[in-house]
Amino acid sequence: MALNEPADESPDEELLPCGRSLMEVWEVWDEGRAGADPHLGACPHCAAALDELRLLGDVVRQTRTAERDEPETYAVTARVMDIVRLELRPGRALPLGGPDEDTWVVEAAAAGVFRSAAESLPGVRAGSCRVVPPAPGAGGPRGPVRVRLEVVADLSWTVPELADAVRVRVAAAARDDIGLEVGAIDIVVVDMTDAAGEPRPRRRPR
Amino acid sequence: MAEEAAPEASDTLLAVRAGEGDEAAFEVLVRRHGAGLLRLASHLLGDRADAEDAVQEAFVSAWRRLPEFRGDAAFESWMFRIVTNRCLNQLRSRRGTAPLESVSEPVAPGHLTSPARTVESTAAVRALHAALARLSPEQRACWVLREFHGLSYQDIARAVGISQQAARGRIFRARRYLTEAMEAWR
Repeated sequence: MALNEPADESPDEELLPCGRSLMEVWEVWDEGRAGADPHLGACPHCAAALDELRLLGDVVRQTRTAERDEPETYAVTARVMDIVRLELRPGRALPLGGPDEDTWVVEAAAAGVFRSAAESLPGVRAGSCRVVPPAPGAGGPRGPVRVRLEVVADLSWTVPELADAVRVRVAAAARDDIGLEVGAIDIVVVDMTDAAGEPRPRRRPR
Repeated sequence: MAEEAAPEASDTLLAVRAGEGDEAAFEVLVRRHGAGLLRLASHLLGDRADAEDAVQEAFVSAWRRLPEFRGDAAFESWMFRIVTNRCLNQLRSRRGTAPLESVSEPVAPGHLTSPARTVESTAAVRALHAALARLSPEQRACWVLREFHGLSYQDIARAVGISQQAARGRIFRARRYLTEAMEAWR
C-alpha cells in the first residue's frame, strides 16, 4: 500500500484561510507573476505557503548544483550506435554506369556524398536529400536519377546564388565521386539563418 | 575555414537526415541530448544502470521511428516523451510485481553516488530524493520535468501523455507532498 502518497484524483481545491487556492498561489509564484498581486505580499497565509515552496526550491537548487556535472554518456552512445549500425536504412539501389553495366549505389550513400558536397560551401548545411531513380517504363531501371536536396545557409548568400552554387557542387560530386548519371537537381532552400545560425538553445533548468 | 563558418546543424535538420538513414546525423543527436535524457531517467528511476537502459532503448526506438517523424514536435520534446514513457512503464511494472518497501528506495541518481559526490550532496538533497521516491510515477515525472528540466505545462502534458490540467494537478500534489516532507525533515 502506498504510504502517504498523495492521491491524484482528490480535488486540487485546497483553500487557504484567506480564500485563495493554494495551487494557484504556488503556480503564480512559480511562473514569476507573484509581484503583480499585492495580496500575496500582504497576506500572512499566502506568505507562509510561499515560504514552504521556497524551502523546497532551495533544496532543488542544491540538488541541481550537486548534479551540475554532465553525466557520462560515452557508454550509452556507443551501445546505441552499435545497435543502429545493425539496423541501417540504406534506401534504394541506384544504377551506375551504362545500360550494359550492373553496378549500383544505395541512396543513403549517394545522399551522403551530395550533402557533403553542399556543405563544402561556406555557411551551408544540408538536410533532406532524396535521390529518385528513373520512373518505371522510362527506359527501364537504368537512366539518369533526379536529386532533391534541402539546404540551410547563412545570410552571406542570396537564394539564387546559393541554389546555383550547390547545384554545381552536387553535379560535380555525382560525376566525379560516384559516377552517377543525374538528370535533374532540385535545390530547396528551407531556411536562411543569421551568421550565428545556432540550433535552438538547449533548455536550461530554471 | 568553411567548416568554421557553417552554422551548427539544427536538431530539425539532423532529425530529417537521420530519418533518411544518415546514422552519423543521428549520432550527433545522441551526443547532444544523451546527458539531459540520462539525467531525466536517473531522476525518474533512481538508478543509473536502469536509466542508461531506458535512454538506450529510447534512442533505438527513435532511430526506428524517425522515418515517420514529421517534426511536429521538436526532436528534444519528442525524446523527452519517449524516455518519460519508458521510465513510467518501468516504474508501473515494478509496482505491480514487488512490495512497495522493496521498490522506489530513496536512491540518488547514479552520478551522485560516487564517493566525492556523496560527501558533497547534503542531507537535504538526500531527503529530497527519499521524498521523491515516494511520489507516484506520474507525479514524480511531472514534477521532475518542471523543476529539473524547466518544461512548460504543455510539454509536460505531452511527455507524460495526460491533459495539461491533469499535469498541473500532479505537480501540485507533488509540491504538496514534497513541501511537507521538507518541512518535516527540517
